[in-house]
Amino acid sequence: MTVKSSPTPVVELTGITKRFPGVVANDRVDLRVAEGEIHAVVGENGAGKSTLMKILYGMQSADEGRMQVNGSEVRFSSPAEAIDAGIGMVHQHFMLADNLTVLENVVLGAEPTRRGTIDRRSAHRDLEELGRSYGLDLHPDDLVETLEVGERQRVEIIKVLYRGARVLILDEPTAVLVPQEVEELFRNLRELKSQGHTIIFIDHKLAEVLAIADTITVLRQGRTVTTVDSSEVTAQELAELMVGSELPAPSTEPRASDEHVMLSMQGLSVADADGRSAVDAVNLDVHRGEIVGVAGVEGNGQGELIEAVLGLRPTSGGDLLLDGESMAGWPVRRRREAGIGYVPEDRHRRGLLPDAPLWENAMLGHQTQPPYARGPWLNRSGAREATTRIVSSFDVRTPGIDTSARALSGGNQQKLVIGREMQAGPRMLVAAHPTRGIDVGAQAAVWENLRTARRDGLAVLLVSADLEELIGLADRLVVMLRGRIVAELDPATTTPRLLGGHMTGAAGEATDDEGRTP
Amino acid sequence: MRGLLRSSMVLRWMLAALGLVVVLSIVQGLARPETTDLLSAGTAESTLRRAVPILLAGLGGIWAERAGVVNIGLEGMMVLGTWFGAWGALEFGPWWGMAFGIAGGACGGLLHAVATVGFGVDHIISGVAVNIIAPATARFLSREFFAGRPGGGLTQSPRVESVGSVDLPFVSGGDLFGWTTPDLFGWIDDQGWFLVSDTAALLSGITQSVSWATVVALALVPISVFLLWRTPIGLRIRASGEHPVAADSLGVNVYRMKFTAVVVSGGLAGFGGAFIAIEQTGIYRENQVQGRGFIGLATVIFGNWQPAGAFLGSLLFGFADALQLRDRTAVHALLLLIGVALAALAIRAVVQRRVRPAALLAVASASVLCWYAVTEEVVSELPPITPHVATLLVLVFATSRLRMPAGVGLRYRRGQE
Repeated sequence: MTVKSSPTPVVELTGITKRFPGVVANDRVDLRVAEGEIHAVVGENGAGKSTLMKILYGMQSADEGRMQVNGSEVRFSSPAEAIDAGIGMVHQHFMLADNLTVLENVVLGAEPTRRGTIDRRSAHRDLEELGRSYGLDLHPDDLVETLEVGERQRVEIIKVLYRGARVLILDEPTAVLVPQEVEELFRNLRELKSQGHTIIFIDHKLAEVLAIADTITVLRQGRTVTTVDSSEVTAQELAELMVGSELPAPSTEPRASDEHVMLSMQGLSVADADGRSAVDAVNLDVHRGEIVGVAGVEGNGQGELIEAVLGLRPTSGGDLLLDGESMAGWPVRRRREAGIGYVPEDRHRRGLLPDAPLWENAMLGHQTQPPYARGPWLNRSGAREATTRIVSSFDVRTPGIDTSARALSGGNQQKLVIGREMQAGPRMLVAAHPTRGIDVGAQAAVWENLRTARRDGLAVLLVSADLEELIGLADRLVVMLRGRIVAELDPATTTPRLLGGHMTGAAGEATDDEGRTP
Repeated sequence: MRGLLRSSMVLRWMLAALGLVVVLSIVQGLARPETTDLLSAGTAESTLRRAVPILLAGLGGIWAERAGVVNIGLEGMMVLGTWFGAWGALEFGPWWGMAFGIAGGACGGLLHAVATVGFGVDHIISGVAVNIIAPATARFLSREFFAGRPGGGLTQSPRVESVGSVDLPFVSGGDLFGWTTPDLFGWIDDQGWFLVSDTAALLSGITQSVSWATVVALALVPISVFLLWRTPIGLRIRASGEHPVAADSLGVNVYRMKFTAVVVSGGLAGFGGAFIAIEQTGIYRENQVQGRGFIGLATVIFGNWQPAGAFLGSLLFGFADALQLRDRTAVHALLLLIGVALAALAIRAVVQRRVRPAALLAVASASVLCWYAVTEEVVSELPPITPHVATLLVLVFATSRLRMPAGVGLRYRRGQE
């Protein structure tokens, strides 16, 4: 065991408390970060990690507690003050203006000037120097909107270093990266550490945390559970510390599918706004009682594929059959009435009306069918009864069905959406990222719902960025890359790493022969 | 050649302008007995003068929208500019009038900024409110300050003096240290050489008796480019309009940036209003802005949120405006121009193998040309609406390639995402 010779911590937070209306996000949280270490802060969604970091970075102010940086007491009322104290943050959702160049994004707020104008030449030089010394490869004059996710993250890191930060906070930096990009990021982080920077790393993927961190602080429900040395814990122990109980995990069970094809895509193509093929001649069958998982880096046609199945987006070629019947020319309404359920990717924008009560939300997409409608009229009492059933059988935790959807937590919103779709008794369910951004408990409930539905013969098309979810739930996995299906894998024998390889095209031809659909 | 074209903006603009002159020359030649006003010194001069208020409104729109605030209140801010401009000119002289016009517009901008940035009011609603408040304020102030004066009343001011004008020496007969230089462009124009004389007429129109206020307005185009793209505050303003949360996270005071930009926006619109009252009409009259603020907003979109683009758009609208005022037969000749332009677009669509647009454009082109051929003069209702029709046409054809600031029109509250 490596005993930490505790030098003066660079950052020390003591008794930080932050309350939001109705919740205590941080409840007397303590955090000590030593100089030159990579310190991971882990916890479930809603454990208070992001709030804590926003407080440290001056984006929010704590209600109680003390902050010390380099041994002296500080109080930040804006990020500018945190930056001055040598703290920088790489946000989970990149803080980059797409229509500005890399250079403009980096120098913003700290522009070098020469006679009143921005001194682009010296900024250029500084950026390239930074890039060289930390191995962060970037072109200063590229527009940010043309960059890949990994590159954007490097811009974010450069941005922080450019301001002379010695302490870097990274908020779930790996959430948007594929495994290969994660390795690249970790190389960069180790390089930073070797040059004396301190890194605070927020995550909930335990394998990654154990791979990169020196010290780990676990938060649960807004409280510090413990701080441990990463060499002294296992992933299982960490997980139990995080959830405080036995860990739910998607586990496969014997497949219930038969040979009956519920949804069939035959050479399906979808053109994007520029006329290019976003989905390119995809052949894919989903059988009754089967979950087909679609993996892929976001933006490789999964979204378009789903929208084409729902009829939200016109197809440019091929055919779509539901239970053997062509859906060509069917409007969305007819497809829904024919028994296609839909769990949209973004429940706030597509799944719910945030300011409408639950019972109205429960009608959405089924408003023409009983029990929500009687003839041309809505059936209020029927809708309310149905909503009450959804709330009780899908364990939606809410004060009542007249509560607005906005008031519910993400997990409960999602349970309502899933319940709404299941209640209608679909034959086919299209689910996009069904557990994104919800807590572990709700996640387990959603998984259980999907599994139960499959057992009852529901065909499910599941698009997800959570590779473990895909591997755990799906009976068959396909990988989409640039609009094509590039591999079909058996979840029982695949690993996230292998999947990642196919998603980026790195696996290439080597596995192509065995991987491709016969 | 192609590389040079791409690298040199100025060259590209000059070539485009030359192309336009050639086309106008040809149309003018075809329509010769009917009209001579399509490309004359008078039209060029009038185009420039009518373009200035629209340009200023457009620049105002760009400042606000680059900071993420939709400024539909430009119209009202221009109205404030006209009243304060006239009042200032009356009390202290024309240049003071311009200054008061700018200040009046800036007050309108401040009101809009307080509502949208400070209180998070919807930008459209606040803008409409400004547009309602401004004429009412102007009417009230007229009653208080103009009604008792000779020539003044509830709806108008006494006549005001304009700021001086200037002729460019050597080419347009300007004075240089008391010596009257030759009027070169005027002389060439009189020779009647095809194309050359037309070009000279155009140049003569835009260099002869140009108001000093016009010179200032034109200078504001490069000044806006410089401030918004070359200075730290410009970068911060643009970042506040693209991604305010990102700007905030880097210690940029987003509220201050937005306030600054919207007040500048109002000041520019006020300048435009003052220009109308002092330079164009020499009098404040109610409703004299006539929707130029909205057209200015259209030039923002037309110009893809770039000052140079808005300038081009304002010239287009200024041209349509000038024509309808000067000569109805010229508007008729303009039909020929539109017909030819539509035909050119149709041919381009054919080359690109886009069947439906090609057919539509061909039909449109044919009907406009038919209209030209079978009529002597356009219906009397058409000339006054030419600028507005031009606005619509341009927006229909230009909207596909536009890139607006990502954060435009969104309510920004610090600490909320």
